Amino acid sequence: MTLAAHPARPQAPHRWSWIDLVAVLVAAAFLLPLAYLLSVSFKSPDQVLSGSFLPEAPTLANWPAAFGATALTRFIVNSVLTAVLGGVVTILIALPAAYACLRLDKAGERLVSIAFGSFVAPPIVAAIPFFFLLKAAGLLNSVVGLALVYGLTNVPVALWLLMPFLRRIPREIEDAAAIDGAGPLVTLVRVIAPLVAPGIAATAIIVVILGYNEFLFASVFTFADETRTLTVGISLFQGDRLVNFGQMAAASLAGIAPIYLIALLAQRWLVAGLTEGSVK
Amino acid sequence: MALAESIDTARTDAPARRRRWRLGNASLASPLVVTLALTTLYPLVALVALSLSKSTLGKPLRDWAGIANFTRVLGDPAFLASLWRSAAFAFPMAAVELVLGLALALLFHRLVRAGRVFTSLALLPLMTPPVMVGVAWKLIFAADGGLLNGWLRAAGLIDAPMSFLGSSSWAAVAIVVADAWQWTPFVALLCFAAIKGLSEEVMEAARLDGATAWQRFRHITLPLLVPTLAAVFLLRLVMAFKLFDLVYVLTFGGPGFDTTTSGFQIWRLAFEQFDVGRAAAATLVFVGFVSLVIWPASRAARRLEARYT
Repeated sequence: MTLAAHPARPQAPHRWSWIDLVAVLVAAAFLLPLAYLLSVSFKSPDQVLSGSFLPEAPTLANWPAAFGATALTRFIVNSVLTAVLGGVVTILIALPAAYACLRLDKAGERLVSIAFGSFVAPPIVAAIPFFFLLKAAGLLNSVVGLALVYGLTNVPVALWLLMPFLRRIPREIEDAAAIDGAGPLVTLVRVIAPLVAPGIAATAIIVVILGYNEFLFASVFTFADETRTLTVGISLFQGDRLVNFGQMAAASLAGIAPIYLIALLAQRWLVAGLTEGSVK
Repeated sequence: MALAESIDTARTDAPARRRRWRLGNASLASPLVVTLALTTLYPLVALVALSLSKSTLGKPLRDWAGIANFTRVLGDPAFLASLWRSAAFAFPMAAVELVLGLALALLFHRLVRAGRVFTSLALLPLMTPPVMVGVAWKLIFAADGGLLNGWLRAAGLIDAPMSFLGSSSWAAVAIVVADAWQWTPFVALLCFAAIKGLSEEVMEAARLDGATAWQRFRHITLPLLVPTLAAVFLLRLVMAFKLFDLVYVLTFGGPGFDTTTSGFQIWRLAFEQFDVGRAAAATLVFVGFVSLVIWPASRAARRLEARYT
């Protein structure tokens, strides 16, 4: 395995080394919490107390119960709606802005640095002001209101992810478009966007996941089952003195499933999107 | 002739066209200006106004309060402790994740083909909602039915279950462990990408010169990675000050107030006690504190980046 790093050398038969052991341990560490979550989702309340890794008598009861105990389906639908709607808003703001800021020199640079600077502030800072803003707009306790909050607050992240992709586009390409009489918007939509499509896709996926996973804003701006998102729903399982861990685990896994599916399908884009900005 | 003419007009039109483009670009950037006004300027103004007033969640800006909210916040030892605690979580978290992430990236690099499998595995914690990361680790650390207690008991190390989340120091460790599980893979992915970008020739030359693996890492890989490491550390540090979900799920700030970070304390003030005036003052103090801590860290990171690139 280690020899494979040097393709020039002939393939040696695989020999197990300490590095393989480390790799297995690391993989186990990645999977352990999720594996235990899965295991607990098949445990009855009595078995949960045993603390064994595997359920002694696996039961499926938690899964339907989790959907019955709370409005879990509704929570998941709300999460998907807020996340996707928020993602659309983010991309619609960030893509033109990222492109324009690169062309606006000094002013653009300053705008981007303000955006990155705003990322430093913890989200709790915006929680109280946004609460009153949403209230004034009549959007408190609504999917649309929460989606708008996600749409706006994720813009700095989207800029950070998109700019490295856009920086690589040579200016000559748009000069050609300009001679043809196209303005910036037409150039962006017809020429630039198709060229950076993988970057846009990665950014869109990442901001949608950020919205899907968000908890603080969702817990503060929504307070009815009709508007609550999944993360808030999961935290409600904790509400009572006695936590039903089995149901909580089942609900969590049901909720993560769509995200893992996306992560699996869009793996290459995701990794490219995440790492593009850091490699210099 | 026609071509020369059109080139001529293109030339004379150039300044007009450039102006039109500048205007077009400015209008493309204008939604960003509105966004920033809403996400940075407005919250700041609103917080200042609220912090100088008697405000509840139901009735904001009821009465002028002067600096009373600030004196109460700054005179509250619990809040001041939460500030230090926020930093005491952020720095070790970012540091642990940086070291482990780099080690992991080196491992990915060694594994070559299996590295791709690991990249997929690394995405799992990263994509998991922090609330669920909290749930998963709560199941491991729980006193009743926790996996850790089960293993310790099976190994004969303890007789009675330990209440990890009920002990101040263990609860803090649990939060750091859960956070590191979630974010170390992210650090590893970024470091891995940087390592892949390093020149193989230098490595090969060093190898031929008889440099050991450690020497190659210490004198070639590490210095070349410093800019990446500095940037990643800063990013994680900034993000670590946002810690909230894990505290909410794992410890709810407890035992007592021992894992209550400022973010959580402010949330309690505003959304449990509805004392919005005081929460706004606390938020402004927190923002000042975070900026004061991040500013030198970001300057140091930038200096490191400059020196090693």
